[in-house]
Amino acid sequence: MIRELGALTRRELLRLARNPQAIMTSLLLPILYLLLFGQAFNLSAAVPPMELLLLVRGAPTYFSYFAAGMAGFVAVTATLFIGANVIFDRLFGVLKRTSSTPAGATAIFGSRLLAGIIQPVGLAFLVLGLAVALGKAGLSGLDVTASLTVVGATEVVLAVLILSVMFASLFLAIGFTIEQPQTYFAAVNAINLPVLLTSAALFPWGLMPAWFRSVASYNPITLAVNVIRENLFAGATSYYPYDASVYLLGLTAWAVGIIVVAILLARRALAPKA
Amino acid sequence: MAAAAERGTIVADQLTRVFNGKVRAVDGVSFSVAKGEVYGFLGPNGAGKTTTVSMLTAGLGATSGRATVDGVDVLRHPEEVKRRIGIVFQEMTSDGDLTGRENLELSAALYGVPRGEVTPRVNGLLERMQVADAADRLAKTYSGGMRRRLELAVGTVHSPSVLFLDEPTLGLDPQGRAGFWKYVQDLRRDHGMTVFVTTHYLEEADGMCDRIAIIDHGHIVAAGTPAELKDRLGGDIITIRPTQTDANLVDILRAVPGVLSVTAQDGSFRVKCQNGEGLVPTLVDASTKAHVGLAGVSLKRPSLDEVFLEFTGREYREDEGMSATDRAVMLGRVQNRLGGRR
Repeated sequence: MIRELGALTRRELLRLARNPQAIMTSLLLPILYLLLFGQAFNLSAAVPPMELLLLVRGAPTYFSYFAAGMAGFVAVTATLFIGANVIFDRLFGVLKRTSSTPAGATAIFGSRLLAGIIQPVGLAFLVLGLAVALGKAGLSGLDVTASLTVVGATEVVLAVLILSVMFASLFLAIGFTIEQPQTYFAAVNAINLPVLLTSAALFPWGLMPAWFRSVASYNPITLAVNVIRENLFAGATSYYPYDASVYLLGLTAWAVGIIVVAILLARRALAPKA
Repeated sequence: MAAAAERGTIVADQLTRVFNGKVRAVDGVSFSVAKGEVYGFLGPNGAGKTTTVSMLTAGLGATSGRATVDGVDVLRHPEEVKRRIGIVFQEMTSDGDLTGRENLELSAALYGVPRGEVTPRVNGLLERMQVADAADRLAKTYSGGMRRRLELAVGTVHSPSVLFLDEPTLGLDPQGRAGFWKYVQDLRRDHGMTVFVTTHYLEEADGMCDRIAIIDHGHIVAAGTPAELKDRLGGDIITIRPTQTDANLVDILRAVPGVLSVTAQDGSFRVKCQNGEGLVPTLVDASTKAHVGLAGVSLKRPSLDEVFLEFTGREYREDEGMSATDRAVMLGRVQNRLGGRR
């Protein structure tokens, strides 16, 4: 199992490394968001500082709130195409070859998951780093006002990791289940957009209607960005009803549920047709 | 099944697959393949060849019946069967985004080839399949023939005890086919590998298989060695095409000594006989004496094409599923074969 997982993961990484265009394209979206929209949507200029703290839950600026949310945003959006690769591998016969070997469904699924989360996790931290660098360059930037502890940094890393694993599993399962690329992209959009738009990734918390907040507070992306923001911004804890570890636990619960369902769907798809 | 059949390396017992509750793609197929045997499954598209292979290789469940491969029940222990077999599919399934070497290394790892053996085995296969010079090029840059040879290497890198070949030479030129079959024969000789092959190509089945089963509409309609199948035809076939229809010609031809049977077909007369070559002048002479003009006379030695016609009631090349190219190539080959009896 370990050897099969390693061999299949190597295959995925080789394919990724041989497609620099895909890597470069995936960098464009977060850079555009930070350089254009993050700079343009400057609520700090229009809202008094105390009110702003309420709107963005203790973040020093809207850009800081936005940048932390962008990390969660790209951790999800960079997983969107992971299932499409499964569909194309099926169309090109590669999945048929792999399924005909003794490699089990867990190794086939796991290898794609392992290789597939490198990009979203990497992008999420690239966004945070770039946002800090923008601030140092005199533009609106991410202002980390808390003194980040080892526990806090670990929580941030886990939040990004769990969020990526969860959505990568979900989209992989869809890829294993659906045979047509068009249907896949329709299904992914039907999930992706509502989940992103009902989260607190980019939208200021204080501007949300009460009912919308109720929905957003259970959204896994919100849970992940809550963990990031609570750990990056001094005094932010007082704007959140729970400690970051509680949000991390909630995110983990979401992830476990989704991953179990995803593995079951993938195993079913890879089993001999009854 | 009989005890002898149970000892076969591949055994199918009343194997049946029904799709959507009504389409019986494979219907009660039974056969046994001995260790080291090359067994051919012959039939047109849609006959049930690939469905049978899919069931035997644990890629598809059976609706009823049972099958064992290398002594392992396919339906109960599919993962164990996968460890013991190699497969070459009719389509390209190696990864075009990996090099030839990487494809072989991946396959070796998935089949659990001992780590220390991977490099020498991969290098040996690359040499043997004549792709060593392109070993570090992406497989998608290979020519059709190179890619097919890579497919065979990927399917045999773990030296399986049973090899399934599903239309393995589709799209290969004659030289490529010859090389492909030489390697399969080498594997069989060196490793005692049992080979189960499905093919469209009659001459391949004739030349390479120890035994052949002809499958049509999900049923095995005939099985045996190529020589046995041809012997069942009872002799040569002379086709006589008169210039005009003459009902008496059937009786005239039947009366010729050595003629076994005469059947009318599309304005022609199909004469089954022993020693067709010697009988042609006599038949022409009999027709002339009866004042029947002849537009053409042809002699066919027993071939698998004739066997197929005999057991399915239609000519093999009439298969609607075959591409025009395949039909043309096969027709040419069959015609070439008419020059000599096996």
